[in-house]
Amino acid sequence: MNADSTNVGLLVRLMGAANERGRVIAANVANESTPGYRRQVLRFEEHLRAALDSGARELDAIEPELVTDTLTPAGKDGNNVNLELELNAGRQNRLLYETYAAILQGHFELLRAGIESGR
Amino acid sequence: MEGVSRLFSGMRIAATGMSAERVRIDTVARNIANSKVTRTAEGGPYKRQVVEFEPILQRQADGREINAGVRVRAISNDEFSSFERIHDPGHPDADAGGWVTYPNVNATREMADLITAVRAYEANIELQENFVRMADRALRLAQ
Repeated sequence: MNADSTNVGLLVRLMGAANERGRVIAANVANESTPGYRRQVLRFEEHLRAALDSGARELDAIEPELVTDTLTPAGKDGNNVNLELELNAGRQNRLLYETYAAILQGHFELLRAGIESGR
Repeated sequence: MEGVSRLFSGMRIAATGMSAERVRIDTVARNIANSKVTRTAEGGPYKRQVVEFEPILQRQADGREINAGVRVRAISNDEFSSFERIHDPGHPDADAGGWVTYPNVNATREMADLITAVRAYEANIELQENFVRMADRALRLAQ
């Protein structure tokens, strides 16, 4: 692990995207019975991974993308929200957020150790 | 404060879901309570009520509209389900042939509706708890 500040910036953006994704999941669950509602998803990690795979060095230009899910089949009322899947996505998203926070905390502790060892 | 209010907007969305589902639960309770009412102020038996939901859309600074939760658009009468007719000539609301028209409330359907609404209510609570734990985790970074 290195205490490089670009990693900190990326982690903060990942946490921001996870918070935003939590909002999108909450909107899906709230609209569980709204006729014609289509669930939405927030894509960010996929885009980052694709950029890293293609060898891109500049990740700042990559923004989270809000996508309407038209692939999941809808019920009679035109609504395609599945409560169990959304709750699963919500729990997964929370764990992802906590993972980013734990890594970020590791960075801070490394920095603190570096500062204190110099005294 | 824009950033902070954004942090809590997810909790607000879950709260809109909870209050909309509670209206649905209240409506089921009203339907069941009135399931034997054969005479109303409007005339005729009680009519089953149904809740209609609609999304809350919020325009962002960049002109995009984002979903900010759900609200009840209307509580309307169910004009499609058929009424129950029971032959009971002694009933004060019986018609000339001795038939009484009972509300179009079906207890099984109401119970199914109630379970769906309660489950959705609980799902919103769980998401709200998720947000609390995420915010709590972020706070501990500062310690």
